[in-house]
Amino acid sequence: MKKDSVFATRIYPIIFMVLVTVVFISGVSGIYLSTKERVLLNESIFQKMAVLYAAGIDYPEGQPQEIQAVYEARVKEVGDIDGEPAYFEVELPSGEPGYVVYTTGAGLWGKIVAAFGFEQDLNTITGVEFVEQNETPGLGARITEEWFKQQFRGKKGPFVLVEEGTADEANELDAITGATRTSDAVLKIANNVFEVAEAKVKGGN
Amino acid sequence: MPARGKMKKTFMAPLGKDNPVFAQILGICSTLAVTNKLENTVIMSMGVLFTTSLSGLTISLIRKLIPARVRMMVETLIIASFVIIVDIFLRAYVPDVWKQLGPYVGLIITNCIIMGRAEAFALNNPPGLSLVDGISSGLGYSYVLIVIAFFRELLGTGEVWGITILGDWWTNWSIMIMPPGAFFMLAIFVWIVKGVLIKETEEAVK
Repeated sequence: MKKDSVFATRIYPIIFMVLVTVVFISGVSGIYLSTKERVLLNESIFQKMAVLYAAGIDYPEGQPQEIQAVYEARVKEVGDIDGEPAYFEVELPSGEPGYVVYTTGAGLWGKIVAAFGFEQDLNTITGVEFVEQNETPGLGARITEEWFKQQFRGKKGPFVLVEEGTADEANELDAITGATRTSDAVLKIANNVFEVAEAKVKGGN
Repeated sequence: MPARGKMKKTFMAPLGKDNPVFAQILGICSTLAVTNKLENTVIMSMGVLFTTSLSGLTISLIRKLIPARVRMMVETLIIASFVIIVDIFLRAYVPDVWKQLGPYVGLIITNCIIMGRAEAFALNNPPGLSLVDGISSGLGYSYVLIVIAFFRELLGTGEVWGITILGDWWTNWSIMIMPPGAFFMLAIFVWIVKGVLIKETEEAVK
């Protein structure tokens, strides 16, 4: 093969590139397909845990099958918005019926998606889980920490923010020191969620 | 097999005087982005280590077949494949970490260290040596990031790997876990290391 023949300079590179692409894409696709089921399961378990957490229902962590069973016994998916349930009817730990709705709002860096759980009055919050957020790690991202999420349980809106660690009234929320903008964003989302829940649950399917 | 001495030299260079981060100032984007939590940093480092070593090995194995005009396309394709494998793996087996790292795993593709080693080393050296070079480049990158992440998380949150180290008396330096903190830590690190290294080189000249 001459170094500057048409084959060496034009055709061989194309054949080579096609071959390399086919080999590597097949490899990657194979790995993708073999883990696809697991990824989907992770996704669905993650969603289910969020709903259960928002409703305040205990579930065994890290045991997908048990979580699935608890979910099926206590949660009913209602309605359909673009393939996702509009809201969830749940049996709260007290035995009373309750609701869980997803809501979205703007955070500091990106959108925040949260699951809010309600008692039947659609005003008393049973719990909150932040499903998606891109806040600053160590500052705004502390909204995903237990103490921050737990403070919502049993509270009634509309809320006001108070200094971290001082909330004691039913309508007060602890802000996060050093993450004022994220705290404000969460406050806005939390005060908005009552309307969202009302619209989803009463507005029907 | 190449001589042992060359193997050792190849291995040691990226850990010391030819370190990709503090000597060549490569891979800075991810150095700044993922060093505010040690846990994320370690996972990211493992991803980079995996990619540098295997892409170095693969490119070196087929180096004699790669036509010069399309070599960069081939390199990018190979690197991207390995990065996607890391991404899929994290997604399937450690979804929590995957969610936290978000787009940064995909961005390993654009890490200049990997492309740099492929171009500068793997294309001209046998597979064994390229693998060693890839591993040590990955390690050289990793330890710098881990040191930076350790101090950023410690000073910024009083914790290391999520475990509280500094007590209540410690006031968190919030700036350390925000982007500017990365610049400070990296600059201090480069300053200290270069100070030490340059001194040694000068003494060697004398």
